[in-house]
Amino acid sequence: MFMKKRYVLSFNGSQHGAVVATRGSESQVRVDEGEMSPVTYRPVLGGKALSLRLNGRLHLIHLTGLDNKGSVQASIGGRTLDLTVMDELRAQALESLGDATGSGTIAADIPGLVVELKVKPGQIVHKGEPVIVVEAMKMQNELTTAITGTVVEICVAAGQPVNPGDKLVVIEPEPGL
Amino acid sequence: MAKRGQRRFKKVLVANRGEIAVRIIQGLQEMGIVTVAVYSDIDRTALHVLMADEAVLLGPAPAAESYLVGDKIIAAALATGADAIHPGYGFLSENGSFSRAVEAAGLVFIGPTAASMEVMGDKLASRRKMRASGVPVVPGTDEAVTDPVVAVGIAEKIGFPVLLKASAGGGGKGMRIVREAAAMASALRQTMGEAGSSFGNDAIFVEKYIEDPKHIEVQVLGDGRGNAIHVFERECSVQRRHQKVIEESPSPSLDADLRARICEAAVQTARSIDYRGAGTVEFILAPDGEFYFLEMNTRLQVEHPVTEVVTGTDLVRAMVLIAQGDGICYRQEDLAQKGWALEFRIYAEDPGRNFAPSIGRIEAMTAPHGPGVRLDTGIYEGFDVPIHYDPMLAKLIVWAEDRPRAIARSVRVLKEFVLHGPGHNVGFHLWALRQPAFLDGTYTTHFVEDEFDPENWLPALDAGQAEALVAATALFEALRRSDVPGAGDQASGIPAHNWRLNALRTMTGNK
Repeated sequence: MFMKKRYVLSFNGSQHGAVVATRGSESQVRVDEGEMSPVTYRPVLGGKALSLRLNGRLHLIHLTGLDNKGSVQASIGGRTLDLTVMDELRAQALESLGDATGSGTIAADIPGLVVELKVKPGQIVHKGEPVIVVEAMKMQNELTTAITGTVVEICVAAGQPVNPGDKLVVIEPEPGL
Repeated sequence: MAKRGQRRFKKVLVANRGEIAVRIIQGLQEMGIVTVAVYSDIDRTALHVLMADEAVLLGPAPAAESYLVGDKIIAAALATGADAIHPGYGFLSENGSFSRAVEAAGLVFIGPTAASMEVMGDKLASRRKMRASGVPVVPGTDEAVTDPVVAVGIAEKIGFPVLLKASAGGGGKGMRIVREAAAMASALRQTMGEAGSSFGNDAIFVEKYIEDPKHIEVQVLGDGRGNAIHVFERECSVQRRHQKVIEESPSPSLDADLRARICEAAVQTARSIDYRGAGTVEFILAPDGEFYFLEMNTRLQVEHPVTEVVTGTDLVRAMVLIAQGDGICYRQEDLAQKGWALEFRIYAEDPGRNFAPSIGRIEAMTAPHGPGVRLDTGIYEGFDVPIHYDPMLAKLIVWAEDRPRAIARSVRVLKEFVLHGPGHNVGFHLWALRQPAFLDGTYTTHFVEDEFDPENWLPALDAGQAEALVAATALFEALRRSDVPGAGDQASGIPAHNWRLNALRTMTGNK
């Protein structure tokens, strides 16, 4: 029986799903709505690249993980691309959890697009309140504040793309509240 | 064989960093000369330091406190017992007072005399000198202009549009195009202001503006005693932000007659100032086939390798021999261009964001190989590219029998070159090699601004590549999370440690 794992990827502004199925040393892969296809792969060049055989064609693909959040640089045929990849469970967790950094600064966790700002500068917010909505991988993530305080800075505008680590909203703690 | 008065260098200090310091150290080592590198705080692990026999710390990372401090460099040369200093390009390479100080300290400066640097560093002085020597210069004035009425008079005589140029300018700064008399007064005022604040010298001159020019330059070697030869031309018209990105030799724009005349003019330029060492005479070539002296660079150029591979010469060795007093090691009649060479400057920059610099660690690098490939580089996997210096990482030089084959080979070679970490312009070069104006050789210095669309320059992956990319990236994630059997299992037969190490390195970020 094949063991199946699902992954969610994003690059060049589009999202893709991949299913990796393994049984012993046998592997299959399905990309988006395509067919399940047999795949063989060999880590090569000291672990810098995968030699992949898929649908009768060989590909040499260099892959470098840039952080532990799924940012990957990949090169294929003279193109270098920035991707994010995570397994489906993590993608779902991100969706349901939202994100609160525990400080007064709310930062982007994954690349995405600011959909909506729910607060205005000077506004008082309470711990757990949603402040901004960021769309990534076709999912809207509502980011909440981890502290109670006053919104002192909004660093982004609706419609703006953001990268992991980008500062979105700054809230100054108000101990009196 | 040594003649009277000749010296043999036993040890040479290289007063530079990055790929050019590496190139010079390699050349010196091939000649059996002991090498001394210099470095700033942040460059202790830079490639040029790793390769040298000795290395001296100059000071903190900012160039003004390290690579630009002539006294520290001379002290390092004296302390290590070096015979001579090679300045490379940039930094102190065209600084007359540095070369004087080097010679005053009893050391040899591997380059031209201070007097040559100074006459060529002053555009008005070099125009006068060249006109007197019979080298064609762009029609215009040989004297500084301050009065807009006078400037308009000159412009009407030579014909609009004209270019206002700072005598002390360079690198595309301190220049302004004036297309009509009404615009002269304010353009002159602004250019003088800019020149005064940028170069400390507000002398401005007027010359005819050449529309759609090509940038042709000629490599020369002089012995400092009035003898000079040329090592043919390079064309450097692919530029962005007034900086060259692709150079080639021969130039696709010259026929045999024009080549002979432009190379002769370059030799004439070098002879007229008793030039010593390797230098480059830059010309602009107008669409009507007329060419004009632009300036002379009194140093080894970034793009010298295209000349080396197409003529089978070693310009660093030639410079060292001239500095030793051996004269020019090539005879003009023995030199010829064979085949075609292209150089691609690999910059850490983002072509899609107006070529903004992009600095960081070289996370992974796989260098291209095979016939006709030369890679001059100052980086290696794991090296942190410092923010303090030029963002050029490497130069890829490709040679083949003729221009179409050199272009085809370049596409293959660029596709093999993998660099992860900082953004870079390998994809930009592949874009250039698809453009009709580049393929037919008609491109001008306006090529990039006219043709490059930052929104639409990357080719789409074909369907098979896109699917493989998604599959491979999912497998990469699966492997590093041990979701699937990876390296070390019987299926792959590859030891686990390399892959795991890489996965671990990338998991922890290792910053």
